[in-house]
Amino acid sequence: MRAYSFEDLYHKFARKEVAESLRTFCISKNSYDKILEKYPAKLYIPNYFISIALGLLTFVAVLFSGLLLWLLTSASNTGSMVTLLITLAILCYIALELLVKKKKYFNAGVDNVLMTFIIVFIVSSFALQDFEFSWLLISGVTMIVALWLAARFTDGFMAIISYCSFLIFIFRLYLIAGNIAMRTAPFLIMTASVVIYLLMKKLIKSKIFSYMFCFKCVLFLTLITFYASSNYFVVKELGSELFQPQINFTNSLPLGWFFWLMTFIIPPAYIIYGIIKKDFLVMRTGVVLIAATIFTIKYYYAFWPVELEMIMMAVIFIASAYLLIRYLKEGKFGFTSVNLYASNNEILNAEALIIAQTFNEQPTANNSGLYNGGTGGGGGASGDF
Amino acid sequence: MDISFFKKLHDEGIIDTPEMTNIELQVRMPESVYWDLRTLLYLGIVLFTSAIGIIIYKNIDSIGHAAMLITIAALDGLCFYYCIKNAEGYSNNKVESPGIWYDYILLLASLLLLIFIGYLQFQYTFFGSSWGLALFIPMIILFIVAYYFDHLGVLSMAITNLAAWVGISITPARILRENNFNNSQTIYAGLATGVVLVAVSFVSTRKKIKPHFAFSYKNFGAHILFISLIALMVYFDNIYLLSFFLLAIISFLFFKNAIKKNSFYFLVITLLYAYIGLSYALTESLFKFSSDVGAFYLIIIYFIASGIALIRLFIHYNKILKHNASL
Repeated sequence: MRAYSFEDLYHKFARKEVAESLRTFCISKNSYDKILEKYPAKLYIPNYFISIALGLLTFVAVLFSGLLLWLLTSASNTGSMVTLLITLAILCYIALELLVKKKKYFNAGVDNVLMTFIIVFIVSSFALQDFEFSWLLISGVTMIVALWLAARFTDGFMAIISYCSFLIFIFRLYLIAGNIAMRTAPFLIMTASVVIYLLMKKLIKSKIFSYMFCFKCVLFLTLITFYASSNYFVVKELGSELFQPQINFTNSLPLGWFFWLMTFIIPPAYIIYGIIKKDFLVMRTGVVLIAATIFTIKYYYAFWPVELEMIMMAVIFIASAYLLIRYLKEGKFGFTSVNLYASNNEILNAEALIIAQTFNEQPTANNSGLYNGGTGGGGGASGDF
Repeated sequence: MDISFFKKLHDEGIIDTPEMTNIELQVRMPESVYWDLRTLLYLGIVLFTSAIGIIIYKNIDSIGHAAMLITIAALDGLCFYYCIKNAEGYSNNKVESPGIWYDYILLLASLLLLIFIGYLQFQYTFFGSSWGLALFIPMIILFIVAYYFDHLGVLSMAITNLAAWVGISITPARILRENNFNNSQTIYAGLATGVVLVAVSFVSTRKKIKPHFAFSYKNFGAHILFISLIALMVYFDNIYLLSFFLLAIISFLFFKNAIKKNSFYFLVITLLYAYIGLSYALTESLFKFSSDVGAFYLIIIYFIASGIALIRLFIHYNKILKHNASL
C-alpha cells in the first residue's frame, strides 16, 4: 500500500534520530558519520525553503496546465467541467505516483501540492453537481481519497483532511435522523474525537514509525475537535447558524451548564494531563485553548473594561512566567526553564521578525499616522484608533 | 530519542559505551520549557503594551498627561535600569543574554520608550511640526539599545522604524498592503532603503561589527529592494526592460552570494523574485508584440515550462548547497 519501502522510511527515521543525538552532543561527529554511512538517505527531502519554492512552482505549473487543458477542450457545461476536473485529478495522481516512484520525493513540496490539487479537483467536480446529499457525498469521497493518499504517501496533511472529512461525514449522516440528531450532534463529535484519540494513542504506542507524523497530526486535531464540540460558544453559535429555524438556540442552549463546564474544565485538564504524562502536545494545546475559553467568556460577559482585563492577563502571564523561570531553574518534576541547547540562528531571526511585525506598528513619515490622529499606535496597540 | 534504536547501534559496535550512556542520560533529562516560557512572557508584554496604548487613547482628553508621562517614564526607567545593571557591556561580537527575563524586560523598555515619545509628540508636539524627527529620534535610540544590549528583536524594530522614517513599511504583513507602489516616491524610497540595508549587512559581516545582525539587515533589505525593482518595472512601463536588466543584475549578485554563503533562504527568494520579474517582462513584451489568442497560449505554455524548469533548477541547487548549508 505504501509508496515508499520500509527501508527508505527506516533510513529517514534513523537519520533523524542520529541528527538529534548529535545536536544534543550525545555522540561524536565520527560516530555520526558512520551511522549516516550505514543509513544513506534514500528519499528526496529538500531543505524546507526549497520545499516551499517547489510547492509554489508546482502550484503555478498545475494551475496553468489546468487552464491550458480547459482552453483546449473548451469545456463549458457542468458535465464537461466535471470530466475535465476528474481528468486533472487523475493526471495529478499519475504525476505524483511517477515522481514518487522515480525521484522518491517525500515532503518535497511537489508531492504535497499535487496531493492537495487531487483533493481540490475532486471536491470541485462534486461541488459543481447539485446532489441531494452533496455534503455527505463530498465529505465521504474526500475522506476516502485523503485517507488513501495519507496511507500511500504517509502524509500528515492528508491525514488531517481525512479526519476532518470523516467528522463532517458522520455529522451529516447523523443529521438525517432529524430533530433529535440536531440536539445531540455535539455529543456525536465528542464521542468520535475520543474514539479516534484512543485509536491514535494505541497506534503511536505500537511504534509504527512510518506513520508516526500522521498519527500525531490526527491526535492533535482530536484534542481540538473534542474541545470545539463541547465549547459553549461553538455549540450555541454554530448550532444557531446551521439549524435555524428548526431549532432555536438564540435564547438558551439545552444543557448549557454542561457546555460551560466543559469550556472551563478541558483546557486545564489538558495542561495537567500533559504535565503528568510529559506530553508537550497535549500541554501546549491546553495552554492555547485557555485563550479560546477566555474569548468564550468575554463574548457573553464583560466584567471589566477591556484594557483592565488585558493588564490583568498581562500581569498573570508575566508573573507566572517569572515564577516558573525561577522555580524550574534547577529542574523540577521533569521540567526545566533552562535552554538546554544553543538556540539556532533560524529561531532567533524568526523571533526578531515576529517582534518587528507585532510590536512595531509605526506610522510612516509620509502617511498620516499616530501623530496626526490616524491609524496605528506604538507598543503593539494596533488597530484603527 | 528512540532508545531501542541506539541500543541496536551500540550492540553493533557503531557507537561506544560512553556515547550510549550519554543517550540514556539525555532521555532521562528534564524537558525544557524555555520556549514556552518565552512565548508566555512575549504574550504578557504584547497585552501590557497594547493595554497602555488603549488606556492612553481612551483617556487622551481626560487623563492627567503629566502623571501618565511620569508613570510611563518611571516604568521605562526601571526597565532600563534593570537591563543596564545586568548587561555585560558592548562588544562587536555576539553577547550572550543573561536570561529570558532580561531579553523581555529590554523589549518592554524599548516599547515603553516608543509609547513615551509618541505620547510626548502627540500631546505636547515636543518635536514641533517635524514628524520625521519624532520617528528619527526613537529610531536612533532603538539602534543604540539594539547594539549595546545585543538584541535582535529591538534591532528589527529599529530597522522598521528606519523604513517608516523614509516613508515605507517593511514588516512582512505590511510590505505589500500598506506601501503604495503606484507612486514613484515610494519606489525610490524602497530602492534606497533596500540598498542601504543590504550595504549595512555587508559592512557588518566584513568589518565584524555584530556580524550576527547581518541577516536581519539583509532580509529586510532584500525584500524591499526586490519588490521596489519589480514595482519599478510595472510603474515605468516605457523603460521596463531597463528595470528588468537592473533586477537581473541584482538577482545575479544575490544569487552568487547565496551560493557562496550556502543560504537556501536567499537562493529561494532571489530566484522567485527574478522569476516574477522575468515573467512580467516576457508577458509585457509578448502582449506588446501581439495580443491575439496565440500569445495567450504561449504565455500559458511559458508558465508551465518555466515552472517545471525552475523546479529542476531548485533541485539542482539543493544538492549543491546541501552540505554545510545555513539559513
